[in-house]
Amino acid sequence: MQTLTFRFPAGTAPKRRVHLGVVASGDLEILLTPHPPGSDADAAEVRVRTSVDGFDAVWRQVLERFFERSPMTGVWELNDFGATPGVVNLRLRQAVDLALAEQDPQ
Amino acid sequence: MTVTDDIGRLLARHSVRELTARGRALALLDDGSAHELLGPFDHLESPWLEPQGVVPQADDGVVVMRGSIGGHRAVVAAVEQGFQGGAIGEVSGAKISETLRLAAADGSAGTPVTAVLLLETGGVRLQEANLGLAAVAEICDAVLVARTHAPVIAVIAGEVGSFGGVSIAAGLCTEVIMTREGRLGLNGPAVIEQEAGRTEFDASDRALVWAVHGGTQRHAQALADRLIVDDIDELRDAVAAAVTAGVKAVGSHRSERVDVLAARLALLDPATTPTPAQTRELWGAHYEVPEAVPTPAPVPSASPGPASRGFTWLKLLSGVDTPDAVIASVRMAVTDQAVYLAVVPDPASPYHRARHGEVGLAECLALAQTLRRIVAEDAARPQRRAIVAVVDLPSQAYGRIEETAGLHQAIATTVDAYAAARTAGHPVVTIVVGTALSGGFLTHGLQATRILALDAPGVEIHAMHKPAAARITRRTVDQLEQLGSRIAPLSYDVRTWATLGLCDALLPVADADHPTDAETATVTAALQQQIEAARTPVADLSYRLDTPGALHLRGASRHVRDELARQWAAER
Repeated sequence: MQTLTFRFPAGTAPKRRVHLGVVASGDLEILLTPHPPGSDADAAEVRVRTSVDGFDAVWRQVLERFFERSPMTGVWELNDFGATPGVVNLRLRQAVDLALAEQDPQ
Repeated sequence: MTVTDDIGRLLARHSVRELTARGRALALLDDGSAHELLGPFDHLESPWLEPQGVVPQADDGVVVMRGSIGGHRAVVAAVEQGFQGGAIGEVSGAKISETLRLAAADGSAGTPVTAVLLLETGGVRLQEANLGLAAVAEICDAVLVARTHAPVIAVIAGEVGSFGGVSIAAGLCTEVIMTREGRLGLNGPAVIEQEAGRTEFDASDRALVWAVHGGTQRHAQALADRLIVDDIDELRDAVAAAVTAGVKAVGSHRSERVDVLAARLALLDPATTPTPAQTRELWGAHYEVPEAVPTPAPVPSASPGPASRGFTWLKLLSGVDTPDAVIASVRMAVTDQAVYLAVVPDPASPYHRARHGEVGLAECLALAQTLRRIVAEDAARPQRRAIVAVVDLPSQAYGRIEETAGLHQAIATTVDAYAAARTAGHPVVTIVVGTALSGGFLTHGLQATRILALDAPGVEIHAMHKPAAARITRRTVDQLEQLGSRIAPLSYDVRTWATLGLCDALLPVADADHPTDAETATVTAALQQQIEAARTPVADLSYRLDTPGALHLRGASRHVRDELARQWAAER
């Protein structure tokens, strides 16, 4: 297991906190917590805990590209159990969709 | 019905199996009523996984949701099968037991809350071995209390099924609801194959696996109450019907029907392992005493007894030189003040997987019958006798006949009997003199109000023996031992086990097979002291979270208890 932390510039604030996914084989869990109201934090603070060691560079690339396109602020916790980059991307996009939906779908 | 109708119905189904635990809990509760307690943002993770290099999950794999079912107050505890195979650790276990306790507390205050347990689990999480085992014992105890106030309903509807100690809890529930895809048993097929070889159980033979453990079979054996197809509407209807059926009368739960277990076992011939279909024919479709039960073979007169550590201590502690044989493998020593029980090896047992002191079907029955008899005999006595479980057992019995017959239900019958003795006011004290592993210890030992252990070579308390635990957690035995020196619940060292808050006294003995007179006297005196202490009645096992050891090492369980209670009260 390895813990990685990243910080990406971001500007879109989530409307709510979001949880999705499961720490199951080939999948990951995401918790997105908005920065406290009034805070002028302009970054995505990301912590990844992954069961697979040695993929630091891949994580950086996947996350960098994602946050370039979807620069959502907040504290992002990713608990990963061997998800492929495709699955990671999918889950991240789901999280953004849920965070921006007009009504709380959860 | 036409083919088109069938297909239409099939397409309209919403599979339970394909949902996550959170999705299942949401789908089960009335629309708009669900509210999650101790959700992922409470970050109540297992404290034991990350130090072992295992990624935790924010809710530790159990989702607790309050709401209503058909308008009745209900709470759902759903195990997430995807996370660690649904295995129960300290936090996830405490979430289930504390949920049941809160439901029971509301029930005793006049507002019954139905508890639904969605069980998808391989049993105790081996990374948290001894705390998982303790959690399962406490879940069993909590089910027994909660089911007197409102139904406790077990649902087994997923891919994983229910195995390990959690299945004992299922065997204690008011009702068990299963799908055909669901499985229910004590030892999973892969574990049996690993322990006993492919001729005992071929885990790759899916037809065999489902014939033995599958929902259709368990329902036909009356070990499950309702069989449904994998559809959320059907599940809601079945649970609603179980809620409406209400609590069962005292004495009518499956786990209280010692008579049925006795009759069913009398009909089995262990020499020729019966097929799953034969058990249905023999036993009938109801959990009642079948007609034409043969008289059980008389128990052979007490042989001198085996040379086992358990037997040695049974004699030493009771002062009885020739303990009775309830059966050859369950020995009992009776004094004016106490009844001592030990499970011992019986090399001639007709159950070939239960010859080395394992807790199997016959042992469960013998223990349950004895415990129920003692409780009945002492009802009129001014002071109830103590019950002392002398523990030296390698495990539960890993075998095909055991699973075919439903060992989880037999164990539930014994667990129920131990808890009944405790609640009736018997001091129930366990003393571990040798190995105390896994389901064997859950059956014979962990329901006591006081637990003592010898501090001696060969005393070992754990969820699984070392080589198997190493294989399953993908480690070498050396790695496991090294981790055990850092991670308290994982340790095989009884001194470390004694720090977990479950041990009331650790008693040094140099050689437990040949104790000196002085050592025997010290241990006997300590036991008597614990018996006296156990005369102060306790309502349930919840006190275990307030022992000095628990303050130190079960902080996560205590946090679950306190925070869940706070959120529960805020919900009212």
